[in-house]
Amino acid sequence: MGSAVAAPLAAAVYGTAFAIGAVLMGFEMLGSRYIYPYFGGGIGTWAALISVVLLSLAIGYFTGGALTQRPRMLRKVALLFVIAAAYLALVPRCADPVMTGILDRFASGAVAQFSAAIALTLVPLSLLATLSPVAVAVLSASDARSGAVAGWVYGISTIGNILGVLVTTFVLVPFAGSRAITYGFAVIVAVCAATLGLAHRTYRM
Amino acid sequence: MKRMILQICRLSLACLLALPTAQLLCAPAAAATASDETLILSKESLYNNIYVYRRGPYVSLTFGHNRTIYTESVCNTWDELELPVLYTQYMTVGLAYPPAVHSVLEIGFGGGRTSWYLHRTLPEVSVTTVELDGAVVDIAKQYFGIKEEHNFHIQNEDGRLFLTRSKEQYDLILLDAYRGPFVPFHLLTKEFYAVVKQHLKPGGVIVQNVEPSTMLFDSSVATMGSVFANMDFFRAEGNIVVVAYDGAARDPKQLAETARQRDAASHPRYYLTQLLAARQPYAAVRQAIAPGAKVLTDDFAPVEYLKAIENHNRKWPSVSQ
Repeated sequence: MGSAVAAPLAAAVYGTAFAIGAVLMGFEMLGSRYIYPYFGGGIGTWAALISVVLLSLAIGYFTGGALTQRPRMLRKVALLFVIAAAYLALVPRCADPVMTGILDRFASGAVAQFSAAIALTLVPLSLLATLSPVAVAVLSASDARSGAVAGWVYGISTIGNILGVLVTTFVLVPFAGSRAITYGFAVIVAVCAATLGLAHRTYRM
Repeated sequence: MKRMILQICRLSLACLLALPTAQLLCAPAAAATASDETLILSKESLYNNIYVYRRGPYVSLTFGHNRTIYTESVCNTWDELELPVLYTQYMTVGLAYPPAVHSVLEIGFGGGRTSWYLHRTLPEVSVTTVELDGAVVDIAKQYFGIKEEHNFHIQNEDGRLFLTRSKEQYDLILLDAYRGPFVPFHLLTKEFYAVVKQHLKPGGVIVQNVEPSTMLFDSSVATMGSVFANMDFFRAEGNIVVVAYDGAARDPKQLAETARQRDAASHPRYYLTQLLAARQPYAAVRQAIAPGAKVLTDDFAPVEYLKAIENHNRKWPSVSQ
């Protein structure tokens, strides 16, 4: 791999980057299933969803970048992932009252669609996106390697993104309910949190 | 009697004229457009690639996807009461069911043929029609001679969103929101039909257009059956029109009598008594519907997957008289 750190640490961080990449985009696809019944289906819904997901990524990247300047960054990301997993686990039960509340308050239109996308994705996806800069920092044993490591982290998490979109749309949605899939994503995030927590304990990063 | 004969002649002539177009239409089975059609408008809207063709007096509104043209609506510009697409005639059969017809809602305006026919046939009935794509409404107004007027209202909104926010109740709700090859899943779920049911007046019915060539048909029927106690089926070439309602099953004699009275009162182009003759209750067609079909819910509605499983061997029983 593109780094010179301990192999188990590299495996843990790259593996997590892949899995989180898949959950990130998988949950964006599921977002449409949660939003359509309340706010209609169409390009407006997707515009809201995509822009809010990208906003979440931006927030996560800035925050993750800041985390790399402090000690114990893997532990912090692991804790943020615990919150993200809990948030995802609450979505199936809370989606209906929250969406109905938004519908009552803002009626329809762009404001409602953006509010729904924010309520659904902003918190968990911002938290998940903190991993990328932290992964680069952890895996870059020297400044000279950082470019290569960044390439690997982006590449692997983007392959995760692609699989998240495709597997969710063509495998999970046809055979399982959106709520069951969301619980599955929460479990994956929780496992990633545990993995990073363990990596922190072993390597003190 | 003379009027009746005239009506039958007109009906057969209309069928004859409509035949080539109707075959094109077996919606949403795709068909290439014939060469004698001229393209008079193409427009990319927020939701669709819209192409409008003219062929003699007929103007058709179509959606293009890939290289395929999906006909959504056909209008005879010389005769606004003609419904050239057979299933749209059967969409009006629901008029025979409610105890009284004062208000009609349609989800999926398309070219507005069915709703405009109902409005012109029954001007005293309030007709509301909901369409997601504003460009479709504009084109129907421009080419199909449709306009908003007393008792005819067009709402530019997602159908489910409209119903969720509306407090109105209707005697008849028509559902026909297929969009080209795409099926909006949130208009096919149990939760959706439950919302629709809340908007029916006592004795009101829904009329749903369904396309029977894939497993989505079986799941749609199972879903409607999970919300409504009764379903009647009307086969219209490539489509099946389902009338669903709650409460006790209607007595066929009573239905025929109501149809006769309403035909006599409003003289519709397509007589309810004739349309009603194609009625098949659920029990008569049950064997043509897959027994294990899953009910669609907001949580689990794999509509694209079900639509990909074709069922061209469906043995639809013929109407027994």
